[in-house]
Amino acid sequence: MSSAAGGGGAYSFSLTTFSPSGKLVQIEHALAAVAQGTTSLGIKATNGIVIATEKKSSSILIDDSMIEKVAVICPNIGIVYSGMGPDFRVLVTKARKTAQAYWKLYGEYPPTRVLTQDIATVMQEATQSGGVRPFGVSLLVAGWDKVRGPSLYQVDPSGSFWAWKASAIGKNMINAKTFLEKRYNDDISLEDAIHTALLTLKEGFEGQMTEKTIEIGVVTVPSPEDLVAPPGERVKPVFRKLSEEEVRDYLAL
Amino acid sequence: MECSFAITGKDYVLVASDTNAARSIIKMKSDEDKTKILSPHLVMTYSGEPGDTVQFAEYVERNIRLQHIRNIHELRPSSSAAWIRRSLADSLRSRHPYSVNLLLGGYDAATDTPKLYWIDYLGTLAEVPFAAHGYGSYFALSLLDRYHNPEASLEEGVATLKRCISEVQKRLVVNLETFKVRVVDKDGVREIEL
Amino acid sequence: MSIMSYNGGSIVAMVGKDCVAIASDLRLGNQALTIATNFEKVFPVTDRLYVGLPGLATDVVTLRERFRFRVNMYTIKEEREIEPETFAHLVSSTLYERRFGPYFVEPVIAGLEKGTNKPFIATTDLIGCLTLPKDFAVAGTASDKLFGVAEGLWEPDLEPEDLFETISQTLMNAVDRDAFSGWGAIVHLITPDQVITRTLKARMD
Repeated sequence: MSSAAGGGGAYSFSLTTFSPSGKLVQIEHALAAVAQGTTSLGIKATNGIVIATEKKSSSILIDDSMIEKVAVICPNIGIVYSGMGPDFRVLVTKARKTAQAYWKLYGEYPPTRVLTQDIATVMQEATQSGGVRPFGVSLLVAGWDKVRGPSLYQVDPSGSFWAWKASAIGKNMINAKTFLEKRYNDDISLEDAIHTALLTLKEGFEGQMTEKTIEIGVVTVPSPEDLVAPPGERVKPVFRKLSEEEVRDYLAL
Repeated sequence: MECSFAITGKDYVLVASDTNAARSIIKMKSDEDKTKILSPHLVMTYSGEPGDTVQFAEYVERNIRLQHIRNIHELRPSSSAAWIRRSLADSLRSRHPYSVNLLLGGYDAATDTPKLYWIDYLGTLAEVPFAAHGYGSYFALSLLDRYHNPEASLEEGVATLKRCISEVQKRLVVNLETFKVRVVDKDGVREIEL
Repeated sequence: MSIMSYNGGSIVAMVGKDCVAIASDLRLGNQALTIATNFEKVFPVTDRLYVGLPGLATDVVTLRERFRFRVNMYTIKEEREIEPETFAHLVSSTLYERRFGPYFVEPVIAGLEKGTNKPFIATTDLIGCLTLPKDFAVAGTASDKLFGVAEGLWEPDLEPEDLFETISQTLMNAVDRDAFSGWGAIVHLITPDQVITRTLKARMD
């Protein structure tokens, strides 16, 4: 019963096997894949949350307006990732379905905490099921709900998740986190948080930071009036992506 | 044309069932025991579609016994009733539902109280002081409204039960000659000769 | 013979000033024959939210168990108690799941919203179509009579004790004209700081 993996150690490829030291090495490999991905970060402010990422394409010939790294899951929740794009797409599809299923059952969208836990469960199952590999992404989930207000979560390939005031994932996460630790304070406003996010990204940025190479999503804490839909209209979404024009304006400041 | 009664009294439950086994208009047997002792302090009468009755009663009997063995403790009357009810309710919406009506008499040793449950083939469950199934219920229930006493001694309870039986024997067009009567109390289930 | 009136039973819920009430009769029958006079049809969901389930008695019990299961799972997963409006949607979707083989029950929901103490009442039909009245909700075999009496007795902004009197009189006078309802009644009065449950001395014939 020799492993197909051969010399690299029988524990490197079989997911359901612990190494003698108690590690599941595939999960660590998945984290390595995340660490190679572009930097993403999130900051929670008093009146909202910002999540941002750098969007890099390998060739100038690629139409980068098609790339989406910040995704809306439901009107109150958005996510961003570092790591493998295709894996993220799968998670976004599943998360959107979960959110709609929740809406069908309860007539409202899920609280951030509940949706995050659902995504984390999907990611955990990939570490214990046969014939699959772990997801090669870490996520930052930003959302607002009337239970916990604005909240920011990070989910890792292992399926563990934590709530953060500010966090960074991907290539420059160590430096970015150190930077955020210096800059963060508990009464930061959303506007300031967006600027801090851009400054943090700038630290490790290779090339020019433009509205084409940056993606930003924001949660704006709604006022009670915001939650009442005008006649014949929907309630305006709590989470939204900034348009290229808005990103350009923030970069200009 | 089947008939069963049950009444609670002070620290006991009496259950009674006629003993006829009929097929169409033919009486096949007149000493059929249509009661089942499910556990030391639980007894049940069953009536309804022939075939379904015995099949379902044995299914219940074995499952209640299984609970007893697994937990080294008999399932309490309320829990037994809930489990049986659920079985019938699930069965109702299956391809071939059981049509069985039950009276479940038990003695809850944990609270020292007699318990009586009326259960029909739909899975309807009611905890009651006295109960009846079949045509006899039209006579017995009004009789018991008048004569039932929850504090009655066993002798008084048996006398009340006899009233119900003789009323059925007097007024119902079908002749139900004999009744199997069982009592459950703190000492368990035993048969009573009328 | 309708399945909905096989066992009989009726429920009414009413809105008051910072309070709601929900009441039911206690009869369980087999058509015209009364089997039990202690059959409750209104159940607590949280300590400020109740659901009444009139209709086929087997489904009353099955649904009570299903709602208890789903609400318990909700409470654990969400780490909070379910709100009346959310619960109403849960009831609706649970019933609609069985659109083509329904539970024969027409639920009535009554509760107070958290924080605001805003009264909430709702009813659904047997396949889960929600109705959100602002005054009162009725269901069961005496629903037609309940509509009439409630229409006459209910008024806006009733204080808890007045609401109790209104709902009690509405229920008792309506079920007296219904052969399939009655035989005792129970009222739950939900106020911001407590729930008062009273069994009424009703006609037992």
